[in-house]
Amino acid sequence: MLDEPTTIYLKHLFETKLNKAMRLYLDTCSRCGLCVDACHVYASMPETKYTPVGRAEVVRKLFKRYFRLQGTFAPWLGETLTMDDIGMDKAYEAAFSCTGCRRCVGFCPFGIDTQQVMGIAKLLLIGVEKQPQILAMLSDMSIAKGETYTESSDSYLEAIRNLEPEVEALAPKPEGRPTIPVSVPGSDVLYVSLSGAHSIIPAAAIMNAAKENWCLSYFEAVNFAAWLGDPKKQARISGRIVAEAERLGVKEVVIVECGTATRVMKFQSGRHSFKVLSIVELVARYLHEGRISVDPAKFQGSLTYHDPCQLGRNSGVLEEPRYIIGKLTKNFVELTPNREDNWCCGGGGGFISLGEHEFRMKSSKVKADQVRAAKVEVICTACENCHTQLTELNEHYGLGMKVESLTNMVAHALADTSV
Amino acid sequence: MDPQSVSKAAAAVSGATQAAAAAVSGATPVVVHSGFARFMDGVYYVIMVPMVYVALAVMVVGIIVKIVSIVSSPAPAFTLKTFPARRHPMLAALGDTFAMPQIRKRQPVFWLFLVWFHVGILLLILGHFDLFPNLNIMPAASRHMLGAGFVGVSVTVPAFYFLARRFRGEDRHISVPSDYLLLLLLIFTFLLGDMISWGNSWTARGFVMTKADFKQYFGILASFSFADPKTVLPGSHYHFIVLHLFLAELFMMILPFSKIVHTFFSLPLNILRRK
Repeated sequence: MLDEPTTIYLKHLFETKLNKAMRLYLDTCSRCGLCVDACHVYASMPETKYTPVGRAEVVRKLFKRYFRLQGTFAPWLGETLTMDDIGMDKAYEAAFSCTGCRRCVGFCPFGIDTQQVMGIAKLLLIGVEKQPQILAMLSDMSIAKGETYTESSDSYLEAIRNLEPEVEALAPKPEGRPTIPVSVPGSDVLYVSLSGAHSIIPAAAIMNAAKENWCLSYFEAVNFAAWLGDPKKQARISGRIVAEAERLGVKEVVIVECGTATRVMKFQSGRHSFKVLSIVELVARYLHEGRISVDPAKFQGSLTYHDPCQLGRNSGVLEEPRYIIGKLTKNFVELTPNREDNWCCGGGGGFISLGEHEFRMKSSKVKADQVRAAKVEVICTACENCHTQLTELNEHYGLGMKVESLTNMVAHALADTSV
Repeated sequence: MDPQSVSKAAAAVSGATQAAAAAVSGATPVVVHSGFARFMDGVYYVIMVPMVYVALAVMVVGIIVKIVSIVSSPAPAFTLKTFPARRHPMLAALGDTFAMPQIRKRQPVFWLFLVWFHVGILLLILGHFDLFPNLNIMPAASRHMLGAGFVGVSVTVPAFYFLARRFRGEDRHISVPSDYLLLLLLIFTFLLGDMISWGNSWTARGFVMTKADFKQYFGILASFSFADPKTVLPGSHYHFIVLHLFLAELFMMILPFSKIVHTFFSLPLNILRRK
């Protein structure tokens, strides 16, 4: 049992989450069970605790206990939970078995958002310091980097310069400007990558081929606090990028192949003076405007595409990847289901950063089955986490296919400009 | 008129019923019997008149308080819509709310029962409006309620289906006691309603009570005369009517605090998903 001050503190944390949507989510579920079949974890490991309603009920049972009359007079009616060790353990199990893919939103007749409800569980876990320490540490590191980046900028710039030959191998060096310009005032596009070179080189080559007036951000796009469920830290992490973009006066902020970063920057970082788009949208636009072209002969074999949940159903980037793929190959096979109904890969919600290899593999059996059924040689996607997860699924389930990143495929198929 | 005198007046009108009851319980001392009968008369009266107003008030105030608590909460900090975005988000939300495509696509049998049930509920409410003194949904001369019993069946059968599906598979595990109790409450209310609207005509002499009798009872409620409804609802079916009213009042009072609030919140929730 938690002591009284802690319980009061947790109730306060809970209340901070009770906006209009959350009150509706918590009061309205009729436990019809439609969402049960939406979750890839449940489809792979059929246990009640892995159903969207099973997860949301943990929070709902705490809500009824502390915020509803029946919690006082007839707690048995809704089998309420208390904020004790058992309640918090259940909250952890619910929140960190959910990738936040929001596939269940499309199954629920009311559109209840389990990811949002899990936000309450995650905040309560932070309140009792039971949050995943890896995500907490990574969030803090991102924030610290935002405060001290000027001190480490020399080594960063040197590391970036070392990547330039690889970019120049894919697209010619632009005239009168560096191959990878970093944080340049007056740029039209600010590209926000991840920490690995693989997230910079292909995008840099594509933007150079399109003769874009772009620059690279000092920061990485990933927002660990979004997975941790800490709204304040999330805002500080995305705030670094917003501040940089506004300082440079860019027109557009382009986010690397990362679903969560795209969604956070597009929809969850407030109003800004610039437009936010995914690198996938930018590449599709370049192809559409004829600023770049790709050589369809470069890619051989059959190809399918995995819609990253946060990029597709949660950010609306659904047709652009297909447009790009249409330029790369005619040998494209859709996964079934696809687009907004696509199965989550099982790597979202910070699970990749958390490790959790065994759970990720077991809980994504349905994904492996779906991919295997497509009978293709290559699967591509546009999200770092999805890419890692698909690579591991490929190995674990012996799918025998190659996992590719869409941007990387485009960069290696750039026509005329490739060396 | 105070309830006591109303009760006495009622006893005079429904004398036949009282006499019959006395004959059956002949062995019981008259004093004890009449005391119990008076007590039950009192309980019946409370259920049939004052509690109707209380239940209605609890329901209306409860819903208003709930809606105000939601409207006065801060709006979500960011959009919660899912994609692909709809060209007409409001129309899509209305479609989600009233046509339930998510269910039709994945559980068509459940969807059929849900549509049957919800249309039934609408007709049921309409049918009860027919009982108001100055309203006629059915022709004034008709002795039947709206649908002549079919409306009642249209809510009862799906309610049994909803209960049955909670006993199988994952639906059983995700259900909590209030889910079963709420359905049982509805089922008993419906069954009693079926008995009153339909079963009540299954006698050799036709209707025991007619719609005209119910209209008189609603007249008492609408006029706030606080007269004893027993005076206008003669016969042994009165017990069923009292029980029907009691369960319906329970339902009305529970409504704002139960998942039945989806009546009001389904549309705003679907707007969140689409807009």
